Amino acid sequence: MEALKTLLPQIFYVLIFPGFLFCFIFGLFLSGIDRKMVARMQRRIGPPIMQPFYDFFKLVGKDHIIPRKASKKVFLLAPIFGLISIVIIALFIPIFGFTFQNNTADIIVILYLITIPALSLVVGGSSSGSPFASIGISREMVTMLSYELPLVMIFLAIGRKAGAAINGNVTFSLADISKYQSMSGIMISKWALIPAAIAFLLIIPAEVGTVPFDVAEAETEICEGPLVEYSGLYLGIYKLTQAVKMFIMGSLFVALFFGGSGFSNIYLNIILMIVAVIITIVLSVSFVRSVLGRLKVEQTLKFFWTVPTALSAISLILVYLKF
Amino acid sequence: MTSYFSNLPIIAILAPFLGAFLVGLMGGRKKLLNVQRSIAIATTFTSFLSLIYLIKPVILDKYIVAYWMGNWKPESQWAIGIGLEVDAFSLFTALIIAAACFLSAIYSFKYMEEDNGLDKYYVLFQLLSASMIGFVLTGDVFNMYVMLEIMTFAAIALTSFRNHLYKSVEAGFKYIVIGSLGSSFILLGTILLYSQLHTLNLAQMAALLHGNYTPVSILALAFMLTGYAVKAFMVPCHTWPVDAHMAAPSSISMLLSGIMSKTGVYALVRILYMIYQSTGRPEMEFLIIFWGTITMLVGITMAVVQTDFKRLLAFSSVSQIGYIMVGFGVGLSVNKGVAVVGTMGALFHMLNHATFKSLLFLCAGAVLHQTGTTDLNKLGGLSKKMPYTTAFFIIGTLSISGIPPFNGFVSKWLIYQASFEAGYAPVTIIALMASVLTLASLIKVIQSVFFGQLKEEYKDVKEVPLFMRIPMMVLSAICIIVGVVPNFVSKYLIEPAAFSIYNIGNYIDVMFEKGYAAKMFKETVSIPSMDYTLAGYWNPLSWLILFMILLIALILFFSFGYKSSNNKVIDDLINTRYETFTGGEKEDYNHLGENDMFWGMRQDFGRYFRFIKGAHSGVVNDYVLWVVAACAIVTIYLFTLM
Amino acid sequence: MLDKIIEKSRIKSPWIYHVNAGSCNGCDIELIALLGPKFDVERFGVKLTGTPKHADIVFVTGPVTAQTKDRVLRVISQVPDPKVIISLGSCPMSCNVFKGSYSVVGPLDKWVPVDVAIGGCSPKPEAIIDGLIKGLDILKEKRGVK
Repeated sequence: MEALKTLLPQIFYVLIFPGFLFCFIFGLFLSGIDRKMVARMQRRIGPPIMQPFYDFFKLVGKDHIIPRKASKKVFLLAPIFGLISIVIIALFIPIFGFTFQNNTADIIVILYLITIPALSLVVGGSSSGSPFASIGISREMVTMLSYELPLVMIFLAIGRKAGAAINGNVTFSLADISKYQSMSGIMISKWALIPAAIAFLLIIPAEVGTVPFDVAEAETEICEGPLVEYSGLYLGIYKLTQAVKMFIMGSLFVALFFGGSGFSNIYLNIILMIVAVIITIVLSVSFVRSVLGRLKVEQTLKFFWTVPTALSAISLILVYLKF
Repeated sequence: MTSYFSNLPIIAILAPFLGAFLVGLMGGRKKLLNVQRSIAIATTFTSFLSLIYLIKPVILDKYIVAYWMGNWKPESQWAIGIGLEVDAFSLFTALIIAAACFLSAIYSFKYMEEDNGLDKYYVLFQLLSASMIGFVLTGDVFNMYVMLEIMTFAAIALTSFRNHLYKSVEAGFKYIVIGSLGSSFILLGTILLYSQLHTLNLAQMAALLHGNYTPVSILALAFMLTGYAVKAFMVPCHTWPVDAHMAAPSSISMLLSGIMSKTGVYALVRILYMIYQSTGRPEMEFLIIFWGTITMLVGITMAVVQTDFKRLLAFSSVSQIGYIMVGFGVGLSVNKGVAVVGTMGALFHMLNHATFKSLLFLCAGAVLHQTGTTDLNKLGGLSKKMPYTTAFFIIGTLSISGIPPFNGFVSKWLIYQASFEAGYAPVTIIALMASVLTLASLIKVIQSVFFGQLKEEYKDVKEVPLFMRIPMMVLSAICIIVGVVPNFVSKYLIEPAAFSIYNIGNYIDVMFEKGYAAKMFKETVSIPSMDYTLAGYWNPLSWLILFMILLIALILFFSFGYKSSNNKVIDDLINTRYETFTGGEKEDYNHLGENDMFWGMRQDFGRYFRFIKGAHSGVVNDYVLWVVAACAIVTIYLFTLM
Repeated sequence: MLDKIIEKSRIKSPWIYHVNAGSCNGCDIELIALLGPKFDVERFGVKLTGTPKHADIVFVTGPVTAQTKDRVLRVISQVPDPKVIISLGSCPMSCNVFKGSYSVVGPLDKWVPVDVAIGGCSPKPEAIIDGLIKGLDILKEKRGVK
């Protein structure tokens, strides 16, 4: 009975909140809000907010066609692995002091887990055997390379800042960062980390895979890139992964830069987090998406290795100089 | 010490030597070929077994096994004979070597079927294994040189084994020239040290040299550093393994790339940590870390632009050795807590690199065996014909790029944390970028060789036979297990090895008598405590359980929710439903530049890539010049700073 | 219950793919203009996809010429079920002014079963939207979930 009592909350956390169900619902919701905001900014009505839900269920009901040339097992397994990794990250990001298991992972693990969905896209596209997919995956790899560099530097800067106060040296644990913020104010109020916050906002569109950095999935040029052979349920899983990734990046931004203890009531904390994530995504994804066009892959590489890298390098240097 | 285990090291070394002698005696008669193969497998297995028996005294009871050859014990505290000394670090390296040799012997059972002259192959193979094990188990500097020479010549002969191919002969030639240059440097350094200290025993050298460096010994250090850098392929002495690993038969490539480099690293660690006791010297730390970083960068840059499968793997080996050297460099740091993390990360990475690099080379060998070529531009679409090889290669790729829960993640994480805490933040950033580039280059190989479109000429390719699959299976299992339970591996293998690296006093005392070290040092050497706190927390078992729960939940969810409509609108008139989408055109093989995925990036960073690729000109004289230049730079650096 | 959700979602999110079987591009431009701010079919959930494997509704424009006939058949066979085929403009209905030419192989319903035919050269945007809605009704009634 005792074991059941401890097990039941764990299963609740894993499957309902903040695990599976919450991720799915909120992620699709965010994706819908993003589309609606873009439409409104372009002076049209736009799809209803529940549109991604309809998309997903329609895709569940469609046939799926597996091409003869594809390697079947990898083709079918790749999307599932991507989805599972992204849901696992959601379990580790603290929501204002409440975490599911705050001792199981930290920033470097999250860094690697975030690359797994992009990797699953690459492997899935590669296994489909289509020439369009191979162009798409080479662009996806180059994009991944370009945004890893500033992302690493941002994490190192934050880890150093929080660690210098907690244990005298660097820390990589999100629980420590959250504790540091509840002790000495939210991270964005430190001058040294404002460039890092701006750089993170610039990285979010590239991670999520939306204009102006979505060259890997360019619809008009290479017929949806790595996803060209997917249809039905597995395409739905990929779209779901993209939506959940939007949620993850937003909530990571909130946890890293606006974290801390928030209010003391847990329900108010959750509402605060939801509102903060929506504002972040609208700011960094929708505004940018409705205005800009798509960059080429070489321009993406050059952009990421100059502007966000310079910003996060400034942050890293300022943190080392003890600002 | 005359207990049962004092004879085990000598058994481990001599068994393959005897086997080589026996196989050589038997000659080239075809009927005896299976006997020769069994002898090779039996002798490598014997060494492996005897090393496993050594685990209990050395690692569990923290004993150091010493054995004087011919019972020539030291006379009035001066070492005369050759001593074998096995402490945890030697045993750790020797276990990796013996296990790899054993697996390679099983693999070459089937792999080398079509070559002739196989008796010579097995002679050389056993010489190579014996000399590698002898190299790490010995405690005498000149004996190390002798073993190194046997190892080098066996490796050269094995590289050019298929001497009807031009590339093998050229690779052997390059290896002879550059390898001999390295060996000459090592010999020079050894002789200079001998003339200074009048002894050849490692332990006694450490005792005598403690703290008082004469210019002769610093020059010897520079020579030996360069010489062993040639063996452990650090830039700029990294040019020989590229050709050698490409041209050698794959069961030997695996040994050369994954294992022989570890012997070079072992020697460097012995020299730096034990003889010269540079722990706590920031100038040595900077030198090693800088060297390691350049190795990482140049290795992976060249790997991205290669068009040959095994050359690409060789270059990525070079870059992984850079990681190990950065780890050991941090281990020299003044801050003891950080130093321990660095050393443990480097040791862990030695183990991991041996595992996944051997796995990758074995898969390359399987592809070469079945299709006859390793050119990336010609292969394609082999995953449907060789599913096992594809699966093993994907496991190897995920390990080398450090994706959890495979083993590469743990060691790379330790190295990142160590280099960041030691204050070298740019090194951490470069290390992470190199990791992503490694992933990119291996995805390129997967796309070009396994996925993609199948060519006409490879339609009849079959999967490799079972004997070749067994070593691959064992290595993949090790990759996954070490990744899932790293704490277990760390407690039993890595921590004792790291402890014994720092525990110089005990090393010296065992050879002579207790108190000898303290008498010579005139102080006690402090050993850092082995508890390290990870900057974060990583519990792979709980992560794996989470993964399994989610996987099951997803599969249940999707199997319930899957519906389809059975109304077909039109019949599949021209049978094109299951073809790939090509805009409506007929589906045939279109080589849309798919085998060179990163040509765009190469155009953008054209100057950088052209510079580095052009520098690798292929002319042996250039490479020799690089080695000599490296020696000169190291000498100047050491003399100005010590 | 899942069936009802899927049925409702099918109507609310049609993804279109368009094939040009030799047309003069007028109808294609009209179709793309529908996705702009003035006529905004995105409020119905319509998205233009780049590959037929993602699509529900296939728009075919142009009289089927001899060269494009095979390609149109290939593309349509790669659209997963359930699907609706709409012929846009008068050309696929009756070959318009190109009837009897040496290179035109006939109206579209000689080769594939057409569900909705939208007339006009080129049809008004409101007519295209009307045809789209009729296609959605067909998707719901005739191709329901089994």
